[in-house]
Amino acid sequence: MILRDPALQLDPRVQRLWALEWGFGALVCAAVTAAVAVPPALTDEGTAALVIATVGGAVALSVAILAVVQPRLQYRRFRYEITDLGLYVARGRLFRHWQVVPHARVQTVDTKRGPLERAFGLVSVAVSTASASGGTDIPGLDPRVADSLVEELARRAGIDEGT
Amino acid sequence: MIEPTPEPAPSPETARGRMHPLAILVFARKRIGQSIIPIAVVVLTWRGGLAVPVLLLFATAGLALLVAEWRRFTYRIENGRLVVERGVFRHTTRVVPLDRIRGVDLQAPWLHRALGLVQVEVEAAAGGASAAELTLAAVTAAEGERLRHVLLSQRREASEPDLDAPPARVLYRATPRLLVAGGLTSGRHILAPLAVLAVVLNFADDLPGAIGERILGSAADRAPTDVLGIAVLVAAVVLVALVLAAAGSLVTDWDFELRDEGDRVLAQRGLLTRRSVAIDRARVRGLDLLDSPLRRPFGLVGVRAIAGGIQGRSGRATLAPVISRGDAHMLVRTLDPFADPEAPLEPHPRAARTRRFVRALSLPVALVAVALALQWWWATAALLVLVAAAVPLARDRYLQLGHLFDGRRLTVRSGSLQRRQASLDSGAVVSYLVRQSPMQARVGLCSVVLRLGQGAGSRRVLDCSEEQASSLLASLDPALLGPFVSPTAATTGTPH
Repeated sequence: MILRDPALQLDPRVQRLWALEWGFGALVCAAVTAAVAVPPALTDEGTAALVIATVGGAVALSVAILAVVQPRLQYRRFRYEITDLGLYVARGRLFRHWQVVPHARVQTVDTKRGPLERAFGLVSVAVSTASASGGTDIPGLDPRVADSLVEELARRAGIDEGT
Repeated sequence: MIEPTPEPAPSPETARGRMHPLAILVFARKRIGQSIIPIAVVVLTWRGGLAVPVLLLFATAGLALLVAEWRRFTYRIENGRLVVERGVFRHTTRVVPLDRIRGVDLQAPWLHRALGLVQVEVEAAAGGASAAELTLAAVTAAEGERLRHVLLSQRREASEPDLDAPPARVLYRATPRLLVAGGLTSGRHILAPLAVLAVVLNFADDLPGAIGERILGSAADRAPTDVLGIAVLVAAVVLVALVLAAAGSLVTDWDFELRDEGDRVLAQRGLLTRRSVAIDRARVRGLDLLDSPLRRPFGLVGVRAIAGGIQGRSGRATLAPVISRGDAHMLVRTLDPFADPEAPLEPHPRAARTRRFVRALSLPVALVAVALALQWWWATAALLVLVAAAVPLARDRYLQLGHLFDGRRLTVRSGSLQRRQASLDSGAVVSYLVRQSPMQARVGLCSVVLRLGQGAGSRRVLDCSEEQASSLLASLDPALLGPFVSPTAATTGTPH
């Protein structure tokens, strides 16, 4: 253990959101596989079609398995916490990340709602710093939690709200 | 080029500046460069008596347009903002707040130099990492200096250059001998002629009548086949490459001079095009010492500033292209009294060594296996040489790993072919990141990334142990990071 886990977790509904996203990915993989595999099958190139279908099917299947497994693990690993001095976010299961952004370095705090997130009634909060890659995202928050988070982050960073 | 230069007006706050008429030529070169193909097509395909008058008409119209463009291009500084207005048909106004300006470079290509002019390049932060650039194609050297002074004295009142300031101190000056040594030991300068050769060969391929192939063919016919001849040929090629490398270094960095000007350091260089880059000391986050296996035996290093806003193009942050190690340490101490470039670094655990070996050897060994399976004996032999070369490289990469935090500066070293020792101001970190891949987790390693912000990039403590990472983070910023470093886990290392 390098750093202790942050205290707070995301809204549990985000697991279903992620599962839907992964499931959609699996569907796309399956559709692409079908589109590529059908023409050779029709022109009597059976082996080629079989190879494409096997590879594409394997990819689609593994994405589908990830859709079942990944969201729960990702949810369990994704934690965040705000202290007096900074925002602390830990994420990742295989490739682990622990990130700390001092409030003094925060430049903007945004909320984002994609169409899927809106359907689930969730909000993500994006924090950006002077470094292009130094910011961080916190996805899948309840709107009320997100509002208070944005307010607290903005207050501590000394940013005027309402932008 | 007949009109007199407009004098820089006495009140810099409101006066509109206009560029020197040489700017017309710079514009023309840019425009012709953009439309060279249509022009060539018209010139080459036009038959008939009207060609000359029509071309003259176009040339006149073009010149008039360029003059109009030059006349409409004005710049001024008002209310703490740089305002540039331009455009003949579509008028545009660009407003850049002075505190957004990250750097002002002066460049003098040979024609500018002959007329005592400079090209001013203003780099401004434009949200995130991207930087917008604004170029004033030609102003007098004095006006360029004045602009740089006013634009970089951000929040202070714009004022004329301070005449009471103590005379600038020269921190480093490149002698021709140093530059030759630098060119001969620099991978960049040695490889540059190869790139040119590739372009020439590519171009020769496109020549009509297969001229390129015929030249190559006849050259191949005359190439010596005996051992002595081949040796002479190889020696000649190596000699030419070395001469070109030395010449390249001399041309780009001729009379490199680094001056201490109080709030900023000024680096000037170049034989044909003279470049001058001012680096604001407040923006310097740290210093890099760079060297390579070629340079290490000669005790030569390069010194670069880690600074916001000047990383965009190569060489702009260079404080000394090539300098002896002792002088480099002195230079680092002069620029940053808290930095100690000679402090012994804390080594990283043995697991990092294994990881360097795995990473360096896995690809060549896999390729050897493939070559063996395909029974390509020559490729196998060549790849085995590569494997043999990867062993000392991996060993050295591990030996170079190290870090040290002394309470003020964090020193991080890594790399072998391109070794870099960075000394960072721990107060400049914008965000802290610890990364651990599954391979690292298996052996208890991790990497600590410190992001510096404003285009200064990031520096990484590669493959340190988990305990080293915890204690480093806790000491870098105890108030911020201390609460996250779990004391029980740091000491006992409980597995999870």
